[in-house]
Amino acid sequence: MIVLLMLAFVLIIGLEAPDLVKKKMWRELAAFSVFLAIGMALAIPQVYGIRPFEPNAPIEALFKPMAEWLKKP
Amino acid sequence: MPEGGKIDSKQAIFLMVSMVLPTTFLFVTSAIAHLARQDGWISILLATLTALLIAWLVANLSRRFPGKTLFQFPEVILGRWPGKVVALLYIWWYIQVSSEVLREFGSFMVSAFMPDTPLIVFELLIMAIAAYTVRNGLEVFTRINQIVLPLILGSFVILIFLATPEMNLKRLLPVFIENGAAPVIKGAVMPAAWIGNIVTMAVLIPYLNKAKEAYKIAVSATLITSSFLISTFIADISIFGPEVSAGWFFSALNGIRMIHLANFLERMEPIAMTIWIAGGLVKISVFYWVTVLGSAQWLELKDYKPLVLPVGVILLALSIMAHDSIMDLLTFLGTIVIFQDLIIFQVGIPLLLLVVAIIRGQVGTGIEEKEGGKQG
Repeated sequence: MIVLLMLAFVLIIGLEAPDLVKKKMWRELAAFSVFLAIGMALAIPQVYGIRPFEPNAPIEALFKPMAEWLKKP
Repeated sequence: MPEGGKIDSKQAIFLMVSMVLPTTFLFVTSAIAHLARQDGWISILLATLTALLIAWLVANLSRRFPGKTLFQFPEVILGRWPGKVVALLYIWWYIQVSSEVLREFGSFMVSAFMPDTPLIVFELLIMAIAAYTVRNGLEVFTRINQIVLPLILGSFVILIFLATPEMNLKRLLPVFIENGAAPVIKGAVMPAAWIGNIVTMAVLIPYLNKAKEAYKIAVSATLITSSFLISTFIADISIFGPEVSAGWFFSALNGIRMIHLANFLERMEPIAMTIWIAGGLVKISVFYWVTVLGSAQWLELKDYKPLVLPVGVILLALSIMAHDSIMDLLTFLGTIVIFQDLIIFQVGIPLLLLVVAIIRGQVGTGIEEKEGGKQG
């Protein structure tokens, strides 16, 4: 699994990065790298069955009272 | 500007309909019947009114700042850094919306048709196609939609006609008396949040070739969407009645399974699946494009194409890890997300921006004068 995932990342870098370097679009390259790094940080732990963080927890806490109101008969 | 495409008014209406309808028609009945029972169609009407107000708000706001999208005009209104924060919130929201739509798509395929296939297979496939269309730009998926949406709406109408022998309109009675107002209002929250995604117009308006028609586009898209949602709701309720419909995830799918004409016209589920896949692709592409474009504009990049694949990775990873099961997904969508969408992103922030813009006297220097200049 991890090999396949790495292969996917190599493929993505191979598709995008050379063009950006050739055109000297450094700002775009930086943005690309940051987004890809976030993507890797989210994807790789999941191969090992770990959730990096709970994306929905803060929203759930915030809107809990309204959800309760909705559930009340 | 990162995106160079222009679309016309009809294409924009089609796009806005596709953005809501294809994935919601399956859930609409069970989600509303659960709360408002047979009066759910009144809920959808209320939701339509709310969505029309949202559409007016957004079109009004957007027309004050011609050529700027939802991710750019907060800066003009609130100043550089507060505006950046607001735009960042919207980017996060669109990341969330896209990954939830993706998850909905995958969950439906798994739980309704292919229970043994892993979720990631469907998500990866649709994401690869969506990434390709998004890389090719706005005009490409708009044209796909121009072919796909008439087919979707056509099969919709045909399916409803084919199901008429099973229907009994008495199941919609009694109207309103049994339940009172509170359940109907509760039932309206969810469709309001769905149709309220019309707020995405604020990203699309700068790419219209006739930005003047923004109001017309938003209003007609909202009306088309809600009329189809209401007919789906009425069809489902008159086939099954409110108790049965409320118990299913995909009541429209079960309605389609009931079609049984003259011993040979039956098993119409593949049509539902086609609607779901074709419409789902367009829906995912729209939100994916908005996310990528927003990120590029937020970072002030020249081109958004390099961000397409990395953002796709983030969306896929988020959609897989956000929920354990379809139960969790639907509970989250049905009780939490709808309030977040409505209160913060569809009404709250646009209203705040509009009020500040009016106070600061930013009336809009533009569309009319610009177009007048061109003609003259």
